[in-house]
Amino acid sequence: MKLSLILATAALVGTSAFAIQVQAQDAPVELKWQMWGDQQDQALWQSLADLVTVEYPNIKVTPQISGWTDYWTRLPVLASSGEIADIVAMQSMRMPSFYSILEPLDSYFASDSFDTKVFESSIISGLSHDGTVYGLPYDVGPWLVFYNRDKFKAAGLAEPALDWTFADFKAAAEKLTVDGNYGYATQAFDYISGPVALGAEYFNDGNQFDVTNAGYADAVGKYVDLTAVDKTSPVFASGAGAVQASGRFASGNAAMYIDGPWSMISAAQGADFEMGIAPLPRGDGESRFITAGSGFGVAAAGKHKEEAYKALKVLTGPKAAEILASAGRALPGRLAEQHFWYDVAAKDVKGTRETLEYSFAHSTPFRLNENWNEFENLITQYMPLALNGDKTTAEVLSDIQSQLP
Amino acid sequence: MAVVERTVGTKNTVTKRRKSRLGAGEGRTAFFFLLPSLIGVTLFLVVPIIASVVLSFTNWKLLGQPQFVGFANYIRLFTADPQFWPVVRNTLFFTFEYLVLNIVISLGLAVWISSLKRGQRWFRVIFFLPTFTPGIAVAIVWMLIFAPDGFFDFIMRSLAIHIPSVLTDQNLAMQAVIVVSLWAGVGYNTVLFNAALDMVPANYLEAARIDGASAWDRFWKIRLPLISPTLFFGTVMTAITSLQVFDQIYVMTRGGPGTATATLGYSIFQKGFQNFQMGYASAIAWVMFAMIMVLTAFQFWLQRKWVHYDN
Repeated sequence: MKLSLILATAALVGTSAFAIQVQAQDAPVELKWQMWGDQQDQALWQSLADLVTVEYPNIKVTPQISGWTDYWTRLPVLASSGEIADIVAMQSMRMPSFYSILEPLDSYFASDSFDTKVFESSIISGLSHDGTVYGLPYDVGPWLVFYNRDKFKAAGLAEPALDWTFADFKAAAEKLTVDGNYGYATQAFDYISGPVALGAEYFNDGNQFDVTNAGYADAVGKYVDLTAVDKTSPVFASGAGAVQASGRFASGNAAMYIDGPWSMISAAQGADFEMGIAPLPRGDGESRFITAGSGFGVAAAGKHKEEAYKALKVLTGPKAAEILASAGRALPGRLAEQHFWYDVAAKDVKGTRETLEYSFAHSTPFRLNENWNEFENLITQYMPLALNGDKTTAEVLSDIQSQLP
Repeated sequence: MAVVERTVGTKNTVTKRRKSRLGAGEGRTAFFFLLPSLIGVTLFLVVPIIASVVLSFTNWKLLGQPQFVGFANYIRLFTADPQFWPVVRNTLFFTFEYLVLNIVISLGLAVWISSLKRGQRWFRVIFFLPTFTPGIAVAIVWMLIFAPDGFFDFIMRSLAIHIPSVLTDQNLAMQAVIVVSLWAGVGYNTVLFNAALDMVPANYLEAARIDGASAWDRFWKIRLPLISPTLFFGTVMTAITSLQVFDQIYVMTRGGPGTATATLGYSIFQKGFQNFQMGYASAIAWVMFAMIMVLTAFQFWLQRKWVHYDN
């Protein structure tokens, strides 16, 4: 009797456990997906969310879109108040500040033998922290020089070579500065991506800021001189940020500016001239480029992490990459789908495939730490003083260094 | 006399007794009526204030657990942070220039409007319009006007006036912020002062006129003293809001170029929500609070010298 009781209990427990498991598999799960973007992107992100439901009928993903600047103010507030969504969009440069709110993905990859080699390697390391992957990318890209082909032709300049030097860049900027128009329109991030391409480092070996080192100061000085001495570029204003350079480029007021593939399609659409892209100019040594990109991670505090991981793989999967690439929204982090961007979205811009392949082949790890945001803000705030000649580059860099931990 | 006193005395005791009965019986009812706002004030005012005091002694980074660091934030603020003293100086500079210009311009406009025979209402509405336009929207439009090679630079070039682009110049950037703040903020005080001027009894002015007082004397010796309580209110409120200035700076300059336009209000945002140093930002917020309190107390002390109340 005792035995039969035990058996009966065991059977009961077994069936109910099975029942729970069955229920768990089929129970509808609603996931929230936090993302930045404009109103016009809404439909695009929704179409990606719908892909998840097609693949897993029980999972429904709802995108929550906010503006780029607000997104980064909201994110830590939502995270610390426990309101964070299940799937969280993340940009590689902000990973050192936010990795703690995301789930480490390595064990998930191991459990379903997922191989991250399908993605561009520089962006996988961009979405990692201390060797642990925290997100999968939807886009990637190095900083590039966008240039106005018509103006190059009019000035009798040869189009930039893939390995053009800073001297070439400067000569072009000088020659293109005519009739009240500028050869180049500078903006804050140029003083990070530019010096790195020239071989300089803003960090010391301990991954801490050392922006007054001779190499970095010299490289920043070269870019500063383009504005302060050669007057080939207007001074950028600390408040207006990136909007100005792209605006000047689109209106024909500036012949070159530095940006990434993420803004290439909108730049090309806004331009009524032929546009080309070239790698950043190199220094005396080999070319080397930093890349950045964005992706999605699973919130560490989420209730449905398994489902969120499944959804994540769809959102960064081949079909999603094809949709985003063809729409020109992103150069996919997925290598196999990059051709949709080259052949569909970027077909009218000269040199995209060669330039990007060259840049990826010469990519260097983008070194970041948890004070990165602060550094970028300081560059934006202080660099105009060097550009308008109020202070020297060395003074500005030491001002910046003195405020970094 | 004694009888009268006794009667008064009895009356007083009666009132007192009734008052205390009122307190006992209806005090509780009153308490429950006040409860909703009491809960609101506690939740949204008292608790956050206490929380920010506590936070200012921690190194909370918005994410993760805060750690108690004692006075480290305050020590860093006063001794180590190279940005802090320029920021305090900028805040005071902005407040002083903005306050003086705002009061002078709005008072001038108010006097002008009240002297008009017709169209007073229209002008009041026109000058009040910027007050209910969102500050951020105003700042964005002005930023586009002042942007390098923007509309303002175009006008200056057309007039052959050679000045550097305002938002990228260390000295002019703050002036641009003040111009925008004035454009947006003058209307409120104008309407306030205009209403006060209209309340000045006409017979005082008429009597003065009959006695031969000039328009200038009538303004300085009658109208201004009579509106001084309103003027005081306008000054105190304008000083407080200008010590907290944020929107215009956030949009137009982000505190730059360099620290030229960085103010306490902007510093709190930058440290707290961009650099994720909530503890440090809370410490700055308390310094700002202390500054506002001291300056307001100073103004209240000063008012005894120039504000005239009727009674």
